[in-house]
Amino acid sequence: MKYIDLLNFLNPQHFPIFAIMLYFLGAFFIVLFGKNRIARNCIAFLATGLSLTLLILLVKPIFLDGGIIAYWMGGRIPAGGYAIGIALEVDALGLFFGLLVATAVFVSCLYSFSYMSEDDNEPQYYTLFLMLAGGVLGMVFSGDLFNMFIMVEILTFAAVALTAFRNRVTGALEAAFKYLVVGCIGSTCILAGTILLYQQAHTLNLAQLATIIPNCHGTNVTVAFVLLFIGFCTKAFIVPFHPLAADAHGAAPAPVSVLISGVLTKSGIYGIIRLTFFLFQMMNLGAVQFWLVFLGSVSMFVCVTMALAQHDFKRLLAFHSISQIGYVLTAVGLATALGASAGLYHAMNHTLFKGLLFLCAGAVLHETGTTDLGKLGGLSKKMPWTTVLFLIGAASISGIPPFNGFASKWLIYQATYEKAVETGNIGFAFVTIVALVTSTLTLASFVKVTQSVFFGQLPKECENAKEVSWGMRLAMSILAILCTLTGLFPNAVQKFLTQPAARTMYNVSQYIDGMFQKGYAVQEMGMSAPEAAAVRFETVGVWNPGNWLILLLIALLSICIVAVASKYDAVRQNKSEKVEAKYSLFYGGEPTEFSQVGGGDLFWGFKHNWRHYFSFMHDLHSGIVNDYSLWAVVALALAMVYALIVL
Amino acid sequence: MMTLNYIASFFLIVLGLYCIVVKYNLVKTVIGLSIMDYGVNLLIITIGYNPGGTAPIFTQGELQAASYFVDPIPQALTLTSIVIGACVTAMSLALVIKLKEMYGTLDTREIRRLRG
Repeated sequence: MKYIDLLNFLNPQHFPIFAIMLYFLGAFFIVLFGKNRIARNCIAFLATGLSLTLLILLVKPIFLDGGIIAYWMGGRIPAGGYAIGIALEVDALGLFFGLLVATAVFVSCLYSFSYMSEDDNEPQYYTLFLMLAGGVLGMVFSGDLFNMFIMVEILTFAAVALTAFRNRVTGALEAAFKYLVVGCIGSTCILAGTILLYQQAHTLNLAQLATIIPNCHGTNVTVAFVLLFIGFCTKAFIVPFHPLAADAHGAAPAPVSVLISGVLTKSGIYGIIRLTFFLFQMMNLGAVQFWLVFLGSVSMFVCVTMALAQHDFKRLLAFHSISQIGYVLTAVGLATALGASAGLYHAMNHTLFKGLLFLCAGAVLHETGTTDLGKLGGLSKKMPWTTVLFLIGAASISGIPPFNGFASKWLIYQATYEKAVETGNIGFAFVTIVALVTSTLTLASFVKVTQSVFFGQLPKECENAKEVSWGMRLAMSILAILCTLTGLFPNAVQKFLTQPAARTMYNVSQYIDGMFQKGYAVQEMGMSAPEAAAVRFETVGVWNPGNWLILLLIALLSICIVAVASKYDAVRQNKSEKVEAKYSLFYGGEPTEFSQVGGGDLFWGFKHNWRHYFSFMHDLHSGIVNDYSLWAVVALALAMVYALIVL
Repeated sequence: MMTLNYIASFFLIVLGLYCIVVKYNLVKTVIGLSIMDYGVNLLIITIGYNPGGTAPIFTQGELQAASYFVDPIPQALTLTSIVIGACVTAMSLALVIKLKEMYGTLDTREIRRLRG
């Protein structure tokens, strides 16, 4: 009898709750036994590793067989077609985000083992770290609106505490406080929206809400939609909430920046998708599409220009992070199958390359003690591994083939353009242009970073820098390999990961039936039951990365040959120079000791032409918490007015 | 009676937001957050309240179709929300203490090393 019970535990049905519980149990046990370093690391490793394994085991039943796992806590199954218990529901979309979360958490946990080893209060760090991971995973798998709110609060708290973790770092406390204030405004919006929906539907179950809410019309429902939407926007740091992301990423330790940028923003995007596609089912409205695409495009452009003006490594990466989230929101907001698939693809890539870049920034900080671009330089000689890994990340984010950023950005350009052709709306073609320009500016910004951190001359202060430990290199390498693989096999990624997830976005009935029983959606909603949209993924212009890889290899090889050949000359010349200094080349003036070409000087012409814009934006981001809260209130008010007029 | 409750709850939410946006003192910002939270709690309780309803406590056989009681779910939600509100206050006050130690001021206009 006992044996059979044990076997029952291995049913995939239980895996989602186990994956969430592992994180929280890990956090709990680290509080108990965390004093011992080995015990602490083992618990954190086991919790993150096992969760990832469980989610990978779910790939077959959910992605390949197209199933849905609904799990009623405590076995309180619905009675009389009415949800009375708390449910977890995992469909392909939820699992897709869950896998992203688990992967990023696992890798950044590996990185933390050596990165955080010199900090005090390490047990508290891992406790909060696992709480944050559990919060995000719980939110993504939750089938209950109020539980989503609870998980959002847990993850906000953990993220705020982790931002302030190194509280002696300049601005850490300040960033945490700002994040807490605006984050709480967002959470309160989510709670108020939830309760307004409860008033209409008298249920909190997502699937049941999805059967009731689309048939309700009224000011209440519209206000609830806006409140929930703005709440999730604060979690995704969409403009105008982007300054918080920049502050928080800059101050937090690198593995936490990975979680905030790669995982926490995804929870916001996930919330927006669940809200617009599932709960309210209003993505077929042009007004909502316009809204999402507009917010996404503005985020893309504003954040990339903000990033160009930055001189702190991590702050710059933070602005880029939000810029890439703008791409995701734009693609999702197109409400086409290709757009959804492209958006999810880019969301995945964002987690991978942004994680990699933040870990590289952490490695630089760990070795040199600074992230100020003006004080760094020439680290490629001291940290060759980190440099190569950073270049892979930079190539990915700027969309250089054959890395993953190119594949997803290409799909996004196609999706926006296709939408413009389909609807005949010139605005969507304009979005394509904005996306292209943003990608170019991203590349420019990363040329600047690469130049000022890894190339050029080595300043005296960085002489002691050396390659980081194997543990950190391993974590970065995993992400770099994933970046390359997802770029090399875009068709496989689309077929097995993003397209199943995108299909669920257009099949709301399946989600509702998965929670209750087959035919529930039709029974409850009658004629207005959402039908599975005919999902069609165009394959025009899907590119073959193989040729590009060969081209890249040839280019690299030729560069290596040239470099080796010229180096041979240089060595010979150096020898003769030592003998007779007067035969060396003379350019005029005294030889300078240190003449680093700063990254800030690379694009001075462009920056000069745009100086009014840059100084305006600089003054706008005043750093005063009142201003940022005011932006939140204004965003809420504008969204409310817009929604009440058009919906 | 109930209308007044709704007006009061939205008034509290707006008052909290006003306090956060306008007041430059960190402690007042925290107070604003709390007031906003109380507003939402009042809203939740009001939505769950049925005038004239009894307390929602029944044993197995007692519950009938004719039983008239207040909705218990919003009350449970409010309890959770109050706990979360207390956590927000505790955590933000802890941060305020640390900020005061580090910056020597409670004025938000001077706590702006991260900007631009």
